[in-house]
Amino acid sequence: MKNRIKVFRAMHDLTQEALAQELKVTRQTILAIEKGKYDPSLELAFKIARFFGVSVEEVFIYD
Amino acid sequence: MKQNTFYLMLGIVGLIEVGLFWLSVVLHNPLIITAGFIMGVGLLYVARMTITDIREDERAVLISQKAGSRTLEVFWVLFFAVSLGSAVIGFGTPLGLPRPRELPRDFPRDEPHLGYFGIFQMIMLCCIAFLYIGFRVYYARKYGEWDTDEE
Repeated sequence: MKNRIKVFRAMHDLTQEALAQELKVTRQTILAIEKGKYDPSLELAFKIARFFGVSVEEVFIYD
Repeated sequence: MKQNTFYLMLGIVGLIEVGLFWLSVVLHNPLIITAGFIMGVGLLYVARMTITDIREDERAVLISQKAGSRTLEVFWVLFFAVSLGSAVIGFGTPLGLPRPRELPRDFPRDEPHLGYFGIFQMIMLCCIAFLYIGFRVYYARKYGEWDTDEE
């Protein structure tokens, strides 16, 4: 599964650490998701999408 | 409770367990160390729940779960195989393990056999702990625990 978290982060001028703190996860988790090494749970995926104010499909692309 | 306080507590409980083991051996009473160990581990489990300065998210939980289940997959096969072997020894004679012909008065009956098996089990448990660490390292690498970024 691909994702555009890095793009949205850049648009909101957020570091991985800042996003991680907002979502109450570790920076390594954000990094692992961005690199495609870890697929987040549905809950976390919705949290990420909601945080950026977009739908889940805009952040995560199932291929 | 802080994480470092927990580690300090872990060390103290470990030392107490060593003392209880020694006492158990001297008094020929296995119940002391058995009960002491269960209470010690129970205390540590309760204390672990009160740690406040640790952030464990879903990825960390997943790594622990995967490593734990993989270790269990290996462990139960090994443990069952060894237990089967011991059962064969136990059923090898009509009345169980053969006793030595002459025993000293204060010599505990059949306990050494069980004791040696217990030591073997503990060695196996130590190996399993290393196996768990190995699986943890594997899954931590798989889920990007030590990855670095350009940030």
